[in-house]
Amino acid sequence: MRKYLLRRALFALGTLIGVSLIIFVVLRILPGDPLVAILGVEGHAKMDPADRAILMRDLGLSDSLPVQYVRWMRDIATGQLGKSFFRGDTVRDLILHRGPLSAEIAILALIISWLVGLPVGILSAIRPNGWADAVVRSLSVLFIAVPGFWLGLLIVLALLFWFGYKAPIIIVQLWQDPWENFQLIIGPAVVLGLAQGAYIARMSRSCLLEVIREDYVRTARAKGAVERAVVLHHALPNALLPVITISGVLLGFVLGGSVAVEQAFGVPGLGRALVVAIVERDIVVVQNLVLLYAGIFVLVNVLVDMSYAWLDPRIRYQ
Amino acid sequence: MADSVPSSSRKSRVSRRSFLKTIGVAGAAVGTAPAFLRSTAEAQETPFRDPAAKRGGTLRYGVHTAPAHFDVHQSGTVANIGAQSPMYDTLIRRDPRDGQTIIPDLAHKWDVSPDGKKYTFHLRKGVKFHDGADFTAEDVKATFDRIARPPKGVLIPRSSLFTAVGEIVVLDPHRIEFRLTEPRPRPFMLGAFASGWNIIVRKKTLDDNQGNLRQVMNYPGTGPFRHVSRRDKEVWIMERNPNYWNKGLPYVDKLEIYHMLPFSPELGASLLSGKLDYARLLDPISWRKAKEMPGVTAAAFNQSVIQAVYMNQKKVKAFQDVRVRRAIHLAMDRHVLVDVVKDTAPMQVGGFVYPFHEASTPRAELEKRLGYQKDPKAAIQEAKKLMQAAGYGQGLKGLDFLVRGANTFKLWAVAIQAMLKEHLNVECNLREVQISQWFEEAAAGNFDLGITAIVSALMDPSDYFSSWYGKDAPNNYAGWTNEQFHSLARNIEREVDDSKRKTMIRQAEDILESDPPLIPVSYEQIYDAWYNRVRGQNPSTYFGIYDVVRWDQVWMAKA
Repeated sequence: MRKYLLRRALFALGTLIGVSLIIFVVLRILPGDPLVAILGVEGHAKMDPADRAILMRDLGLSDSLPVQYVRWMRDIATGQLGKSFFRGDTVRDLILHRGPLSAEIAILALIISWLVGLPVGILSAIRPNGWADAVVRSLSVLFIAVPGFWLGLLIVLALLFWFGYKAPIIIVQLWQDPWENFQLIIGPAVVLGLAQGAYIARMSRSCLLEVIREDYVRTARAKGAVERAVVLHHALPNALLPVITISGVLLGFVLGGSVAVEQAFGVPGLGRALVVAIVERDIVVVQNLVLLYAGIFVLVNVLVDMSYAWLDPRIRYQ
Repeated sequence: MADSVPSSSRKSRVSRRSFLKTIGVAGAAVGTAPAFLRSTAEAQETPFRDPAAKRGGTLRYGVHTAPAHFDVHQSGTVANIGAQSPMYDTLIRRDPRDGQTIIPDLAHKWDVSPDGKKYTFHLRKGVKFHDGADFTAEDVKATFDRIARPPKGVLIPRSSLFTAVGEIVVLDPHRIEFRLTEPRPRPFMLGAFASGWNIIVRKKTLDDNQGNLRQVMNYPGTGPFRHVSRRDKEVWIMERNPNYWNKGLPYVDKLEIYHMLPFSPELGASLLSGKLDYARLLDPISWRKAKEMPGVTAAAFNQSVIQAVYMNQKKVKAFQDVRVRRAIHLAMDRHVLVDVVKDTAPMQVGGFVYPFHEASTPRAELEKRLGYQKDPKAAIQEAKKLMQAAGYGQGLKGLDFLVRGANTFKLWAVAIQAMLKEHLNVECNLREVQISQWFEEAAAGNFDLGITAIVSALMDPSDYFSSWYGKDAPNNYAGWTNEQFHSLARNIEREVDDSKRKTMIRQAEDILESDPPLIPVSYEQIYDAWYNRVRGQNPSTYFGIYDVVRWDQVWMAKA
């Protein structure tokens, strides 16, 4: 197991280095001048080459690319993560302040996806081709197809115009006011959770249908086990492995989807910070947040893989 | 639109009884009080105190995203001035009651020499910065030395307003003189000094930071509010300055300034749900909804921005022909273009001079001109003739139309593309880019047509005649030049006689109409809305969102 973990850690490190190189290079070759966002249009128009040189030097953008990359890696290693081009705020503070909100949204979305997706997937599988199955399949396709940010906007507008309600407009952490915090996260979590739940419903339905036809399940029924026990104790555990796998992949979709959904709900999480940083050409913030998301994705997938050994005693890592 | 604010409260008029009482008391005080009391009375002047005002409460105000940096002088966006202005004063200011009249601020009076070359400001005594330091003429000198002649690496868009300032002389700790190298029109110079951008900062603050305040979040001002806390991209909280020189102000105890994208559903939703008391830069749909709501007032006012299409004369040979440019100018149906974006942002038709400026062609007369009529047929016919005469009767093909990536420009670009094709057989390919890339491309001349918005600090034509239409001017992306115009603009800049100046401005306007440096698409308006518990602010007569942003005269009916 230790060797397996070491191997996975090395692979993960390699993946993250690759991601960092890609994002670093892409951000520096993309067109667009960050000084426009910093100085504004009028200030930028008045800039002469000498001013530009001073500003680029202050931002660290006049150094060679390898020097900039090494400086970034050093900042990560020391936990500093660099400073935003704008206002000099540190990326670390940004992540510490907004990260918990986005993490809550992601976790709650995952929980909702399982709470919704698994039961409807089971229902659909044990009554295949019935009306319940048809409804579930239609709804799951609908929630997969509908863009989350559009659904989010509809929810915001419906709550506003029907109830005169809007969620809090600034960050309230869970430990500061749980109720206000819940109001902030529930909208994005539901939208993201329903979309992921649709995938889980479809995956669990198809896995369960396959497992239910296995010999050992028939044997369990022949031995007189009630149907509920057959499904929940015999069939479902074996059907869950692919569902757990896809949950790890779906986390990537949650992270990516949270960017647009946070924007739609106006939730000041990391996703929204990323959108603003992209618009402002705040290279330091963008590269750190993208790397953070990549790191989370890699870590979750390692944990998912490791959970197989716990779920399936036949699986052992070497 | 519901508005239960009595007009007397809104305009802060003083009743006859209290006026006579005040005169009597003031007369007795001046006659009998010792000198130090008289100077204290000077410092306590409150030109617009509202007798109905209540003290206390918190104003929650939603405006623009967070500033990119903290140096107001180096900024060109309301993200700075909207958030930071409450902490600072200016030398003189625009009256918040109408947004136009210039009234005393840190300077309680001023003298202008008959030749228009010396502006002497008499500063208030006993004014303190938030850190307790005394305000003196040295601070004003340091501020305007920096604005007029910024150090290397510091970029101040309003420097061009003070190019005529030769020397700034401190006569004594409370008197300062600006000596111009040549005369400038008084309204222009006073407007420059009164601009909300030109906040007064401490000399020591500038010295301690090598003249660059971009990364200095909380530098001391003399303003009605002082910094309490800021959460990046969320909210900036300020509290009432208990030592404010303008005794009795501000009325509210706290300001919470929330950062939200302009014209965004989030801003509109926050106001409509009651999370904000006052919202600026609302989208038209939220604004119309707010107008229908009981207990909410909605107002529209003019902004200091022109939306324009550039024709790159350096790259496209056809655009060097004035007939082609005039033809394209005439082919625009401006009323339709304003209508196309009516649900996105509020706009109005205008020409090359702000349509609401006293020196511009009156609207009724403008709308009789080709290019501004509601029925564009005559203008289109003339445009076709011009293209024919220029040898482009078959039109133009394959023009690269650089579109700045915002909703209004995207909508306009499609409409303009259709108008050009339909009326003149001019074909263009739309290329949408993000704002920072747009300006990079424009500065490099990598476009044939380009659509964007440009700002001016003042409504006075001398400001934007140089920055928008000047030869090699920063915003003259098309490379336009017309010696007759440039010569006239220089004269307008120096003419101190008001009526002669107005005549020259009209002449300049005529030159621009016949030889367009750009195509004016529209002029921006601003939509504000607020709950009627917010009193003392009505921006209907304001020009722009940069001058009246201090909130010192605002009070809450329910604290």
